[in-house]
Amino acid sequence: MPALLQVSDLSKTYKDKNYWYNRKQYTALNPLSFSLDAYQTLAIVGEIGSGKSTLAKLLVGAEKATTGKIQLNGQLLTKGNFKQRCQHIRMIFQDSGTTLNPNLTIAQLLDEPLVLNTPLTEPQRTQLIRTTLQQVGLLAEHMNFYPHMFSGGQKQRISLARAIILQPQVIILDEALASLDPSLRAQMINLLLDLQQKMGLAYILISHNLGIVKHFSDSIIVLNSGEVVESGETKVVLKKPQHKYTKKLLMSQFFQIKH
Amino acid sequence: MNLLDIRNLSIELKTKQGSILAVDRVSLTMKEGEVRGLVGESGSGKSILAQAITGILDDRWEVHADRFHWKNQDLLRLSPQERKSIIAKDIAMIFQEPIACLDPTTTVGEQLEEAVPNDQLTGYFWQKNKQRKLAVINLLHKVGIKNHDKCYRSFPHQLTEAFCQRVMIAIALARQPLLLIADEPTAAMESTNQGQIFRLLASLNQLKNMSILLISHDLENVTHWTNTITVMYSGQFVEAGTTEQIFNSPYHPYTKALLDSSPKANIELPPKSRLTTLPGSIPVLQHLPIGCRLGPRCPRAQQICVKAPKTTNYHGHQVNCHYSLKENY
Amino acid sequence: MARDKIYSEEEFPSPLQQLWSSFRQTNVAMLGFYGYLFLTALAILSPVFTPYNSMESNLDVLLLPPAWDSHGDVSYLLGTDSLGRDMLSRLMHGASLTFGLSFIVVIISLGVGVLFGSVSALTHGVKSSIFNHFLDVILSIPTLLLAIIIVAILGPGLSNTLWAIVMTLIPQFIHVTHNAVKEEFSKDYVLASRLDGASSWRILQYSVFPNIVEKIINQATLAQSAAILDIAALGFLRLGAQSPLSEWGAMLFSGLDLFYIAPWTVYLPGLAILFAVLTTNLVGEGLRHAVKMRKEN
Repeated sequence: MPALLQVSDLSKTYKDKNYWYNRKQYTALNPLSFSLDAYQTLAIVGEIGSGKSTLAKLLVGAEKATTGKIQLNGQLLTKGNFKQRCQHIRMIFQDSGTTLNPNLTIAQLLDEPLVLNTPLTEPQRTQLIRTTLQQVGLLAEHMNFYPHMFSGGQKQRISLARAIILQPQVIILDEALASLDPSLRAQMINLLLDLQQKMGLAYILISHNLGIVKHFSDSIIVLNSGEVVESGETKVVLKKPQHKYTKKLLMSQFFQIKH
Repeated sequence: MNLLDIRNLSIELKTKQGSILAVDRVSLTMKEGEVRGLVGESGSGKSILAQAITGILDDRWEVHADRFHWKNQDLLRLSPQERKSIIAKDIAMIFQEPIACLDPTTTVGEQLEEAVPNDQLTGYFWQKNKQRKLAVINLLHKVGIKNHDKCYRSFPHQLTEAFCQRVMIAIALARQPLLLIADEPTAAMESTNQGQIFRLLASLNQLKNMSILLISHDLENVTHWTNTITVMYSGQFVEAGTTEQIFNSPYHPYTKALLDSSPKANIELPPKSRLTTLPGSIPVLQHLPIGCRLGPRCPRAQQICVKAPKTTNYHGHQVNCHYSLKENY
Repeated sequence: MARDKIYSEEEFPSPLQQLWSSFRQTNVAMLGFYGYLFLTALAILSPVFTPYNSMESNLDVLLLPPAWDSHGDVSYLLGTDSLGRDMLSRLMHGASLTFGLSFIVVIISLGVGVLFGSVSALTHGVKSSIFNHFLDVILSIPTLLLAIIIVAILGPGLSNTLWAIVMTLIPQFIHVTHNAVKEEFSKDYVLASRLDGASSWRILQYSVFPNIVEKIINQATLAQSAAILDIAALGFLRLGAQSPLSEWGAMLFSGLDLFYIAPWTVYLPGLAILFAVLTTNLVGEGLRHAVKMRKEN
């Protein structure tokens, strides 16, 4: 059975923008391949500059890959064809302060992807917005509120609602849990696990918090300066890290717990 | 001897709709050479408490306390000027995003020179410049920056966050304080850099016997580095004790929920299982519950919880709860 | 769905409504706002309400002082000028010329400037760079000087003044819009809209414009006070409104020779210009203050 998401030889090289006569190039991401099934979570771990945000942008279509291809359900995805992608791959951003337009109500915010991508009529859209808000744990009357009235955790839930409203198959969480308090983080993780079971989603979790990665993910890829340093099943990699970079990461994080 | 002794500190915010009690009767003590963690989620008032200790709150906030002693000297009786001079001499503070806290228009070296106090420079006035430079190089070495030349001439935006945080710590150390308050110093950093900063703080604590008040919103990050921990929730004092006591036997339901919900603290959790959390979310300042503010969310809440609980002390482990979990241990 | 309304607040103000309510709480700004409304009403209604025709001269009552002076006459409330024209009517008609025209000038340059600014913000690379440098050169010239140069090319007259000032104000609007739109494009919600498949036009309409409206209105109030001063200055230099039009700057010029015997012909138009500029600046300042207050809350 073909995997849900199949990535082969994906890489990205930037040309130095300052000199248009200069041939200098900068490799953000070296060729990498992986595959992902439904109900599975892939974690991508790495520091700033390791290429994980570039990978997220390539997968969601915000940038064009230099080499390689991405296949979803066997179909090739092309850059620029947002309408094809956005029904299947959605993304949640990190900083909840700037992900929501401060001048739109939540109903208008969630209406936009529906208006652009589905042929539903107005009452059907309102009903879908209501059920989606209830699925993420908010009340239906929150529809008429503006984003500044919500707390950080609630804003992340709204981002999650915006992601699942088109019933996608893959959701990319770009450091979505990093800025939350621990109790809100735990609530979001429970919510994500529930949705994964109910809707059969696949998650790509980009994070540097190894505790969450260990709890939440099935497979892991460790990136360092654009190179894949280690990859495999989470249990195996975190118990017996092979590369010294992975070992260093583990030491700095689990070192902080007193047993 | 207790370095800092605060009893029943309350901080009120005066708004048009009435006054809001942002911090409700919190007590805090610090001994010499102790590293205390102050843990609380957003809205718990921990940053406001730290700012009230250093005296940098503006006129909108009103601070009351039963006792506010620094080295056995009562600070409440002094005038604001005297209080400020005592605090400025002995307490220093470092903040969350270090690049934003440094002046972007001057080099790091100039800012460090500004921080060195005049009374540390002995000698005639033509020697003072050179002595100042030597003092700055000394400070940079103390925080582990070896190539001081490059650092001296750089601007803050050319350095990384971890580097700038070291520079902030160096600026804080210039006055040789007895207490360093670190307000979420590593929130903006990656994990390897976080470890470096915490190690630096631990070494400063051991070598110079400097007390550190480490404020964080994540309990699991600070348990390795602290001797004692105080937990706050929504402006109220929840629990305090040594790190072992809090980690191994939390008495308050909130602390227990915090520990249960963190995957790092529970290593034998089955993967992809639900984490136990408290339902609901942190109350907003406009709609604070009466009495114990955890009441609406607490699984053990009863009728009596509309009255604020009093602190009970079990061998140094203090809890603020009517139904503490002491009987489970 | 047992309970429908859990929250006690009934209304949910949008950010623009919040801005309006914090504007209303600043007394000084509301004072300026009422003055502004008064001037606008005067500008629109003055052709109907003036006691006398502002351009008709009555040779029996040359240089009559204002009514509070011992030689004055109540029927000519603010006196007359050297050709026997009633000062009050001339001032009211001048409001529609100086103030009203400044309003029209700002509207036109806002429309053109915002259009060009948002289009230029969507371009990248060499084209954008050339355009921006060209704009910077134009912005470095003071507006009055530029207006004088353009009027010198086109010839004196009120409509030429209008075009000159429009052309000097357009670069300012382009600059402000360009920067604001570029800043908005770096925010995450615009990226989210784009990933949803929205076209650039739709992103501009729904995601960008509501958020930059405040900056544009701020620039509009600044531009209007500059436009009032420029129109009056060009009138004073006899490059703008020609006599017998009762534009305030032209009135100042014609009264200047007679300053010692008839000072009211100078200070009355001067006070009118002061009042207009002051109210516009108060409204602008009130708006900036309201934006700051809203951010703090």
